[in-house]
Amino acid sequence: MNVVVCMKQILDPEIPTRDFRIDAARKEAVRGSANLVTSIFCENALEMALQFRDRAGGRITAVTFGASAAEEVLRKSLAMKADAAVLVLNQARPHPDPLSVAAVLAAALRKIGSCDLILTGRESGDWGSGQTGALLAENLGCPCISFVDEIEASAAGVRVRRQTDFGFESMSAQLPAVLTITNNERNVPRIPKTRDVIASHRQPITRWTLADLGITTPELPAGAPYYEVAELFIESRESRCQFVTGDTPEQKARAFAERLAQAARSC
Amino acid sequence: MMDHAGATREVYWNISHIWLMYVLFFISIGVASAGLYRRIAAWRCGLPVHRSDHPLRRFGFLLKHALAQARTLRDSDARIFHTFIYAGFLILTAATTVVLIDADFHIHIMRGSFYLYFQSLTVDVFGVLVIVGIVVAASRRFMTRPRKLVYTREAGILLLLIFVICATGFLLEGWRIAATHDPWAAWSPAGHLVARISQPLMSEPALRSANAITWWIHAALVFGFLAWAPYTKMLHAITAPANIFTAWLEPIGAILPPVDFNNSEVFGAKSLAQFNWKDLLDLDACTECGRCDAACPASRVGKSLSPRDLILDLRGIMRGHVPADGNRDGPAMLQGAPPARWETVTIAGGSPSTGAESLWACTTCAACMQVCPVFIEQMPKIVGMRRYLVMEEADYPPELQAALSSIQARGHPFRGTSFSRVEWTHGLNVPDSSHAAGADVLFWAGCAGAFVERNHSVLRAITQLLERAGVKYFILGNEEGCSGDLARRVGDEFLFQQLAERNIETFRRYHVRHVVTACPHCFNAFRNEYPRHGGRFQVHHHSEYLARLIQEGRLSPVRQIRELVTYHDPCYLGRQNGIYDAPRSILQAACAHPLREMKEARDVSFCCGGGGGMSFVDEPRDKRVNQERAGQALATGCDVVAVGCPFCVTMLDDGIKSRQQNRLVRVSDVAEILLQATE
Amino acid sequence: MFGARGFDRSAQGLLGAGRDLADRLQAQLAVVCLGPCDAQLLSALEHIADEIIVADQPELASYNADLYLGALQKICAEPRPRAILLGNDTYSQELVPRLAYRLAGSAAGDVTAITVESGCLRVRRSVYGGKAEAIIALKRSPAVVGLRARAFAPAAEGTRSAPGHHVSVDLPDTTTRLLEHTSASAGAERLEDAKIVIAGGRGIGGPEPFIRLQQLAALLGGQIAASRAACDAGWAPPSLQVGQTGKKIAPELYLAVGIHGASQHMAGVSDAKVIAAINTDPDAPIFKYCSFGIVEDFRKVLPILHEKLSSGS
Repeated sequence: MNVVVCMKQILDPEIPTRDFRIDAARKEAVRGSANLVTSIFCENALEMALQFRDRAGGRITAVTFGASAAEEVLRKSLAMKADAAVLVLNQARPHPDPLSVAAVLAAALRKIGSCDLILTGRESGDWGSGQTGALLAENLGCPCISFVDEIEASAAGVRVRRQTDFGFESMSAQLPAVLTITNNERNVPRIPKTRDVIASHRQPITRWTLADLGITTPELPAGAPYYEVAELFIESRESRCQFVTGDTPEQKARAFAERLAQAARSC
Repeated sequence: MMDHAGATREVYWNISHIWLMYVLFFISIGVASAGLYRRIAAWRCGLPVHRSDHPLRRFGFLLKHALAQARTLRDSDARIFHTFIYAGFLILTAATTVVLIDADFHIHIMRGSFYLYFQSLTVDVFGVLVIVGIVVAASRRFMTRPRKLVYTREAGILLLLIFVICATGFLLEGWRIAATHDPWAAWSPAGHLVARISQPLMSEPALRSANAITWWIHAALVFGFLAWAPYTKMLHAITAPANIFTAWLEPIGAILPPVDFNNSEVFGAKSLAQFNWKDLLDLDACTECGRCDAACPASRVGKSLSPRDLILDLRGIMRGHVPADGNRDGPAMLQGAPPARWETVTIAGGSPSTGAESLWACTTCAACMQVCPVFIEQMPKIVGMRRYLVMEEADYPPELQAALSSIQARGHPFRGTSFSRVEWTHGLNVPDSSHAAGADVLFWAGCAGAFVERNHSVLRAITQLLERAGVKYFILGNEEGCSGDLARRVGDEFLFQQLAERNIETFRRYHVRHVVTACPHCFNAFRNEYPRHGGRFQVHHHSEYLARLIQEGRLSPVRQIRELVTYHDPCYLGRQNGIYDAPRSILQAACAHPLREMKEARDVSFCCGGGGGMSFVDEPRDKRVNQERAGQALATGCDVVAVGCPFCVTMLDDGIKSRQQNRLVRVSDVAEILLQATE
Repeated sequence: MFGARGFDRSAQGLLGAGRDLADRLQAQLAVVCLGPCDAQLLSALEHIADEIIVADQPELASYNADLYLGALQKICAEPRPRAILLGNDTYSQELVPRLAYRLAGSAAGDVTAITVESGCLRVRRSVYGGKAEAIIALKRSPAVVGLRARAFAPAAEGTRSAPGHHVSVDLPDTTTRLLEHTSASAGAERLEDAKIVIAGGRGIGGPEPFIRLQQLAALLGGQIAASRAACDAGWAPPSLQVGQTGKKIAPELYLAVGIHGASQHMAGVSDAKVIAAINTDPDAPIFKYCSFGIVEDFRKVLPILHEKLSSGS
């Protein structure tokens, strides 16, 4: 069973809001002193792949389409004990639209060969369009189930549980299939062991360029552009919070209860 | 006055078959030696380590701590009775040696004034002191029953044995005096008393046979004791001096060794096979006194951490008390190679004392090490096990996982902070790295300073004071990385080394020669740990540096703080690096009234509860170290608790808030107080 | 839209947005109802839409991605719509990009505003974990847009009377199969519709306090919710998760208990009218979004809240 996990490197989403800045001309966030990290749902996806392999066996390949710094993401995946890692180097514009990304990933997956189960995060921690996994499935002609948080191998392919607005659904899918992964208390990404971190630096990472995948247009593929970011801005917010006061916690709580009751009455 | 010249007694009076005594003696020596040899063979299984540098200093240590028992004498209910017993042992052993010299080497020193003053009077008095000591010890063990002691049958039997040895000694002495109508009887007051009581009750033949029988009983007990001692906690008579001689002489803050990632089979302490011989000797030096437990802040608030039990459980493993393996000490241990048995016993988690709850309750304050009379090093063993759990098993509390992941992802452990590293400088003209070339000093703010809003005023106070003193300094701002102390104490040595290397590179780039830190944890890492990784620069904690500025007259505080102030010694500044006076001198210069000291201050300061990663971990509400310390501070009746560490500030702030009654008490860093005194 | 859900607030917003967009583009608004549609729904729709297409063949009775995509693809092939609007429920979220692919269009999800500029549809959505807003120009046609439907105003009822007709389309094979449906804990009202929401976060410390929050919510006639941290810790089911990657709600009153206020969480609730918070950390970012708040241990505050609100004063 060959499992592929598609991952993305993004700017640390937890930098303090005060420090978050936009380059309005380039329509992207300013790097500043922020670090680059793996998008959290991608890590959840990798964790699910690892748990799946623990139970059902198989081989896990981590794939990412990004700048050469994205190699860090793959090193960490190898440290978490993925079996192999592939970096598709993005030498074109930095924030390709989801359709382009899906096309590149699809080409990479075809080059990798047999992929039975493909996992992606439900959305990335930066642009959060939530489309790449689904578009990848369409490109590959695979079934796609979104918001999955449990995976089991079954006779027919896989059996999964996914989150919905009102609870869960248990579904089965034929393989190969694309699953987009969301978080729950059981797929919190594992901490890699130091020995594995050290070893990960000695493991080979396959590097491909777009040319290696047969994608020759300098702009990314997919014909006419899918979408364009016309504007990017930060909405300013003034804080006008009134803190209740009191000499004792009880007094403060009473004042707060009063305000709350008032607010509730006018709903 | 009688002429003392002829004073003596007949050795072995009334005793025949002396050869039997020698036989018993050699048997007991043999048994004792075998036991001791077994212990030594066990220690030799440990990894090598150098603990014989500075032999003169070590010898001085021996005099102060082994002979003069400096730590035993401190502040413990045991100091009187242990001194009596210990001194008595020394004197009685000396007396027996005198007999040996006189009777076997035929050098007749046991005569005259020496015989009277030493062999008779001194020995008797000390014998009585031993008995008194035993009685007091027994009453503590059987009646008071303090929590810190270990209640074993062996301990009770040892007390009884020593008592009976002394008692039989006095009895047979008394009966000899009575039977021989010894003219020098008064010089042996205790024996004389026995004689006076016995004389009317027993005939001379009765006295003689009683003496002979008791003599043999006494001999058997003494030799029995000698033979048995190395198998009991009496072993400490030998291991304690050995352990004291090989003690760690450097500041405690430097005690954690680095890990060689290229050449280690195991990272951290998985089993006793990763301990060095000093670690193993530590285990056998333990006297089961329990002072470490009594000093441990986690233990004091009722958490499951027990440094004493940790050492004793590890000792049990070393002595082969492995539950799964019934085989006791066998030949393999005598050959100097770690027996297979030791390597299979994973120590972390093997017992409650080495379980996760205990290991992760440790604040690494090293109070245990500071009070141990025989210089056992408990804290590094805990960190060693943490290293194994963190680096080999990735098995450690989720809050600490989050803190370390945060360090890796964004360079600091304060996930969720709304601050950057330079927020605290707003409104001040703090020189940044563009001023590095002309600066004398780098002021290192640290993570706990920059990311916790409460500490911003401390950083601001320090920089304002530096400005006033005309110090040419700069800050790195966003180029600061975490010093790595947290990673090191939690056990992720790999992360620590990465952080250290990165910071050292930054220092190199800016040609940094002198660093002043706002935080004792950064201070400790820079001063004691970074040199191993190539960091060569002077380091001072801000309290040291500010104290020096006052001394040099560059800062002139006026003693105008009228509030009552107490000072809490931060563990990493005080106990682990010996810096007690600098912060106090600042307070002395700033405060109108003398400092109120807490009972547990200076080297026995009670931890605030924030070290070792503990400020990131949720604790049960009824077991909070910081609240305990806050209570101690409030008990001084002070208005201000002065500290020198950002973790202490937040922990004590929390603690005081949770305990405050009607009076308003604030927590301030010494820099904030100094700034107030210079306005 | 999904017929089974009826004309709920989400559907109202969807129709409102559709009507508005159609008017601006001077185009026709067609509503596609997938699954069973009752008469009440149809009568609500007919005054707003220009055309109603009901696809209620038995295979479409319950949701299946392949079938619904196939149906939509067939239905939309002929009229070649300029834009296709869906909601932001789970099913719509997964249909939006796939439908765009099949129709060779462009897609965007969680959209809070739509404008038209030189014939190009521009949508607004929050990005970077809620820290920024982006205006995205959808270059291709059709523009398949998933709307944060409740954020849009319902349409005014017009005088039109749209003709509805049933269609039956050839459906593809399914590659996935629903085995079982489990609903999360009770909560008759859906979280997105609740007027008052009380949410717990990491500061809550465990699952038990959520029961207290539930009691409090019940007193106010509201619902409880949770932050991602609380859900990841297993203290609350994922269906209660509010945030960038959870439910996006816009209640009248939102009380955040022990919630730090990271932008990813606030992105799910920033449309709330009044936000209040209980937190021990005065620096917590949540307070920047609040109208009022209290810096105190929630354990001290909740009993007093309970007392005050149950006494009904």
